[in-house]
Formats: sequence, structure tokens, C-alpha cells
Amino acid sequence: MTLNPFLRLICSLATLLSLSFQALATVSVVDDTGQNVTLTAPATRIISLAPNITEILFHIGAGAQVVGVVSYSDFPPEALKIAGVGTYDQLDIEAILKLQPDLVVGWSSGNSAEDLKTLEELGLTVYRNESKTLEDVASSMQQFAALTGHSAMGNTQSATFLEGTLSLQKRYQDRKNLRVFYQIWGDPIYTVNGHHLISHLIDQCGGTNIFSGLETLAPVVTTESVIERNPEVIVAGVYPGPVPEWFGEWNKWSGIEAVKSDHLYTIDTNHISRMGPRILLGMQAMCEAIDKGREGRH
Amino acid sequence: MPTTHPRRTLLLLLGGAILTFVVALSFGSASISWLKVIESLRTGATSLDYTVVMELRLPRAASAFVVGGMLALAGVLMQVLLRNPLADPYILGTSGGAAVAALTAMLLGWHSGLVSTAAAVGAMFSMALVFFLARGRGDWAITRLLLTGVVLAAGWGAGISFILAVSPASHLYGMLFWLMGDFNDAGPGLFRPLLLIASLTGTMVIARNLNLITLGEDRAEALGVHTLAVRIGIYLLASILTAAAVTLAGTIGFVGLVVPHMVRMVIGSNHSSVVPASVLFGGILLVLAETLARTLIAPRMLPVGVITAFVGVPLFLYLLRSGLKRQDS
Repeated sequence: MTLNPFLRLICSLATLLSLSFQALATVSVVDDTGQNVTLTAPATRIISLAPNITEILFHIGAGAQVVGVVSYSDFPPEALKIAGVGTYDQLDIEAILKLQPDLVVGWSSGNSAEDLKTLEELGLTVYRNESKTLEDVASSMQQFAALTGHSAMGNTQSATFLEGTLSLQKRYQDRKNLRVFYQIWGDPIYTVNGHHLISHLIDQCGGTNIFSGLETLAPVVTTESVIERNPEVIVAGVYPGPVPEWFGEWNKWSGIEAVKSDHLYTIDTNHISRMGPRILLGMQAMCEAIDKGREGRH
Repeated sequence: MPTTHPRRTLLLLLGGAILTFVVALSFGSASISWLKVIESLRTGATSLDYTVVMELRLPRAASAFVVGGMLALAGVLMQVLLRNPLADPYILGTSGGAAVAALTAMLLGWHSGLVSTAAAVGAMFSMALVFFLARGRGDWAITRLLLTGVVLAAGWGAGISFILAVSPASHLYGMLFWLMGDFNDAGPGLFRPLLLIASLTGTMVIARNLNLITLGEDRAEALGVHTLAVRIGIYLLASILTAAAVTLAGTIGFVGLVVPHMVRMVIGSNHSSVVPASVLFGGILLVLAETLARTLIAPRMLPVGVITAFVGVPLFLYLLRSGLKRQDS
């Protein structure tokens, strides 16, 4: 039975159209290691292998599509209800497979490279993310948005984020420069050198990290060396809760300018140490703390 | 066995101890003007130099000396108790128990005072456990004591690995430094120096018994030594000294093992000289190690336990070889 030629035309056109829609749905993105990641359609079952990745996914509207996260994915609160797939350095591969994801977003330097390769060998699509700078965070937002079908929101969030950082920088960078000591831990004293993002944030807030010249990224330093460098502001990254005992120890050393003028501040380490949207909050807290240091003695 | 006159050696060590303190107070990340320090001492006014010397370097040096002395003394006692040259203060698991308790306290987020207390409790618990497990049928056999202690130490070691494996990354900082030996800026307090002096005095009193026990238990018994009582006393004292050292400075290795040997190489095996010399030399070694730990890569700081090994190993090997050469010639 031959088809009516007109009907045949309709069928061909329909096929052509559906094929082009299919082509439109295909997503191809280059990840942070230069690898091409292609999906036939925007991802609907995503596994996040780092807490900051989880935050970014939620931030660009893809939260409902996340089906598995690693531990410490505690923001936003909805993320706590998602199934766990191990820790960022010890992935639970079986749990990942059971969740049948169509996209796994990994942390290039944090996850085990062998684990990520294993996931690929088992047939999963892996996107390797590595965010080291504020611009990286912004571009991650766009990349994840493209992969998950939220391009519009991703672009908006990314632009807002960058604007936020630039406006903070513009507001604070050229103010009076102060010597800043940033402390990750107290016993022993861990700080950051000039290559660390937190040191860059200090710069952008108009401060100078007193240990920027050291070679190690997160060195242990002596109390003496802090006293000698005489910071004007001391900032510690802490977890929410009571102020750690080691931070109060600085009050003993009244020779330090920051102690004399009472410019000792704590900021939420979850904001400033996690490469996600909340780093803007961390940057703001840092800039405000340093700015208070400009007020002189209390 | 080549020996140097013990009294001379002890005087040298005493002089060395004083010199070491001067070195410890003079060096650090900050450059200090001694003139300013002396002026502050006279006028009572505070200056940065005075603060750094008196409130940072002096307490640390004092802590290092006391801990070094305690570890060395504990090492001597352990080597007598177990009649084994490889014995060190940690061999019977006291430090392991302290470490597990301290790391658990850190994991739970307790502050450093409570962590020290936990470490002390852990040490005491381990000591009691070995004591009761090794007693058995009233027989105080060295082998059983050694085996019980070593196995328990291995068990604690597994516990430490477990805690390190499950701890969130943020807690690892403090834990690893504690394990490698770390002085905080507080001094040794009053209790520990008194403990050291009392232990030293007590050990000197029974130095003759220690000499006899080293010769062999039966011979010692025949010469009137109550070996069981002495051995229990040594065990308790060594454990308490180790616990006191570890709760202040974490597990600093090498000092307790090697200092008694180095001292014996120079002044022979008479415990009336070996004991005080070990305390002095242990103190000197640790003060030097502590000074190096905070000046070698200043402004960065190394864990003290790393330095004791780096300094102690070549020193020990040198003494060993020069001792051999003297024997051959």
C-alpha cells in the first residue's frame, strides 16, 4: 500500500523536526580538565562528589535533579535529605551505581582519580570540576547550568556572583591597607600563603596577608612569628558555634596591634573555605572585619 | 667499657643544660635584643622582647627540659625493668592509651585542657590494664609483661589509625601534630618539675638495687633486693613519668630509647651516675630539639618529634662508632 505522497512529506518533515529537537537536547560541555562531556539530554539524575558542587547545583536550580551527594553536603538544608555516596576521598562506588545517575560531577583534585576513572569504565558520564578562583566558581555555575538544562538561571546567578565580588573589591580594595593575619586552626597555628584564595580575598578587601611570602600553601607557624609581624587584624575561620579556645589565647599577647585595639574576628569557615556561591558571604565578612580594623582602637 | 669520670660528666652536663637554656632563649623567629630584656627585668616595664623571651621561649624551654628529663628517666627505668636495650617509655602501651584518649577527645571537640586530662586518664588506664593482665598467677615474669604491653601498644596503635581514618579533615591538623610531639606555649606547670625531682631522687636512692637487678633477678634476690617490689615500683614510676610527659607534649619519640644508651657509652653502667646524667642529657637534647623545631624553617614550625630523630640518630650512631673505635685501639 503506497502512502499518499502528501502524507509522506508530512512524515519526513516530522522525522526531520524530531531529529533536530533531539540535536537541540544534546549537551556537550568541556570540563575543567579539558575533557569533552556529552549528554544526550540535560541530566536528571546527578551525583555530586563534593559539598561545594552540591551547593552550586542547588544555586542554579538543579537541586531537585541531585540524587546522591558525599558527606558534609550540608547546604542548603534540603541537601541533607539526599542519599549519601561516601566521602569525597572515599567514594562508595556501589551506592553511586545503585542510584543510576546520568551525570556524575566530580572534584578533580579532591576525589581519587582512580575512582573517577572506575566510574567512567562502568559506563557513567563524569564531569570533572576544579574551582580555584572566584571566576572558576562563576564559570562552574554556567557549566553546571548547561549540563542540567538551567542555562538561563545559571547565567543570571553567575553574573550576580561576579558582580558581587567586583563590587566588594571596588568598595574595599583601595581603602587603607592593613596587616592581616588569617588563621585556619590554633593548635598548631595554621595559616595560608599568598597563593591561597583566602589570601587573594584579603588583598581584594584592602589587606595584606602577613604570611603571603611563604612557600607552603597552608603552613604551620610559630606564635613568635605572628607577634613579630604584628598584624593589625586577626581573622580566624571557624565552624559555627562557640569561639574556639585557641582564638582567645591571642589576648595574652598585648604587644600585638590587633590585640591592643581589639580587632580579633571570626568568620564562618563554611563560607570562605567552600568554593561555592556562599564564598561571596565569606568575602563580605572578611572585608567587613578588615574594615572594622581601620576604625582604630576600641 | 670506656668510661669518662662520672662526676666530671655530670658537671659538664649541668653546664650544658644552662648553656642550652641560654641558646633556647636567644633564638627564635623574632630577633631579640638582650639589652631590652634585661632593662625590662630591672624596670618592670614590658617590652616585646621581654614578652617573647619570658612568656614564650622560657616556658617552652622549661617544658622541653622537664619532658626530656622525664622521658630519659622513664627510658632508663624501662630498660632495667625489661632487661632489654630496645625498651623505651612507650613500649608497654602507656603512650598509646594516652594517644587514643587524646585523639578521641579532639574528635569530640574538647578543648586542650580536657584533651590533656583525657590523655592522662588513657595513660593510667593502659598502665593499669597491663599491670593486671600481666600479673596472672602472681608471677611477675618479664616476658609476659613485655608481651602484654607490646600487644596492647599495637592495639592502641590500631585505635589511633582508626581515629585518624574517620576524623574529618579539619581535626587532623591538631591530631597529627599531637602525635608527632608538640609543645604549646604554656609552661610545664608546678606538678611536673616536682614529679621529675621526686622521681630522680627516689631512683637515686634505689640506684644500687637497679644495678643489681640488671645483673639478674636471682643474684639480686640473693643479695637482699626485694625484686618484685622494686620492679612494681619501677613499672609504676616509669608509667607515671611517661604519662606526665605525653600529656604535656604528645608522643615525642627517640629520647627515652637513646639517651640512656648514649649516657652509658660515656660513663658506664652505674645507675647512680646514669640516672642523673640521663635526666640532664634528655633535657638538653629536647630543649635543643624544641629550639630547632621553631627556628630551622622559621617562621614555620616543625613537630619536635621529627627533630629528636634527626638529631638523635646521627649523634647515636657517632657515639656508637667512636665507642667501637676506642674498644679496638
